[in-house]
Amino acid sequence: MTHREFELQLDAYVDGELAPEEARELEAHLKGCGDCAQVHDQRVALSTAIRAQVPTFRAPDALRSRVRAAVSKEAGVEAGPRLRGRIAPPLVGRWLALAASLAVVAVGSWRLARSRAGGEALAAQVLASHVRSLMPGHLTDVVSSDQHTVKPWFNGKLDFSPPVYDFVGRGFPLLGGRLDYMGSRPVAALVYGRRQHLINVFLWPPASGGSVGAATTTQQGYHLLHWATPAYAYWVVSDLGLPELRDFAGLLRAADSSAASAK
Amino acid sequence: MEPSELERFEAIVLPHLDAAYTLARYLTRNDEDAQDVVQDAYLRALKYFGGFRGEAGAAARAWVLTIVRNTAHTWRRRHRSDALATEFDEEQHSEAIAGNHPGAALDRDLARASLRQALERLGPEFREVIVLRELEGLSYKEISDVVGVPVGTVMSRLSRARQRLQEALSAGREGR
Repeated sequence: MTHREFELQLDAYVDGELAPEEARELEAHLKGCGDCAQVHDQRVALSTAIRAQVPTFRAPDALRSRVRAAVSKEAGVEAGPRLRGRIAPPLVGRWLALAASLAVVAVGSWRLARSRAGGEALAAQVLASHVRSLMPGHLTDVVSSDQHTVKPWFNGKLDFSPPVYDFVGRGFPLLGGRLDYMGSRPVAALVYGRRQHLINVFLWPPASGGSVGAATTTQQGYHLLHWATPAYAYWVVSDLGLPELRDFAGLLRAADSSAASAK
Repeated sequence: MEPSELERFEAIVLPHLDAAYTLARYLTRNDEDAQDVVQDAYLRALKYFGGFRGEAGAAARAWVLTIVRNTAHTWRRRHRSDALATEFDEEQHSEAIAGNHPGAALDRDLARASLRQALERLGPEFREVIVLRELEGLSYKEISDVVGVPVGTVMSRLSRARQRLQEALSAGREGR
């Protein structure tokens, strides 16, 4: 590959969009090419600056109500005769209000959905452990970016061998691991980095099997993602922006499912 | 529309209102027009919801953003505001900046205003890919679907857009 071709790939690399082998080639090139390394650093700084300084917006409440009203009206008109035939108009309005509040609940339904499994208490533990891990000296018991060092380190410390992946090629380098205690059992904590942000991944074999779809919550400025496969319950927590944290969770789940299908 | 269908729409599409408004806000560059675009887009989304086969979450978000993006472009053609606004002048800026203190630390306050201004001065085809990637967190594939161009084009537009933002930033610092 030529310097020019590497240059063209830099953005895709910074965005975590290069295939692993391409990412490795580019990383090798970056080590020897000052120009590319400089552009790389500028791009990372620019992305950080954009995310920090260019705001995303919350839809104004007036817009929220306008959209709800317009959507209800439009849907109501189409459903007109049948709906009115079955339910009296005031009820329709009330039903729509209920549907609207259901939508709100769907956004914030994490609390409800998770509480059944004692998830709320667990989320509090996850968050507390994440915050504690950020204090000096608490982050990792084993410091390594090598998954083949981190994984064996857990041998004899846990009654399971956690899957450890490195996503450095996608911009989420593995930083290390540590033991933690959660939901009345020892669990594996894996630490990943994303620019200046840290991501804690907690995992353990769930008491009851079965998959749980991803749920998200935000507490004290931290985002928590939770899901479960038959093999592991996962909690991912970070102050990283939610879209990027979801990207990361996606990588983790993809790696997990390809590992599971390889078995 | 069946009540269950409306319920599904509200559960799947309404949660992306903030993302929709953010995209519309950067494409129209003002609050009032952004609100009109979003409302219009949501009515279109309702109309075509029967044809949406994706799942809630990321797929629904990309679908909503596609409609918002297309609605905003229709709006723009109608109002022609971008034609009147100052687009970023590549020639004028790129000369002055090439190679100027690239590693310099950003001056936070100056950068805050100028970075957003620089973004708003970008042509719409560059502005939208930056917003979709950096603020909405879409993948290249999702951006390619939303904008309706190949992934390779997404990559090159993002690259050029970032180059311009970086140049605008250093030009801003240079002028002070």
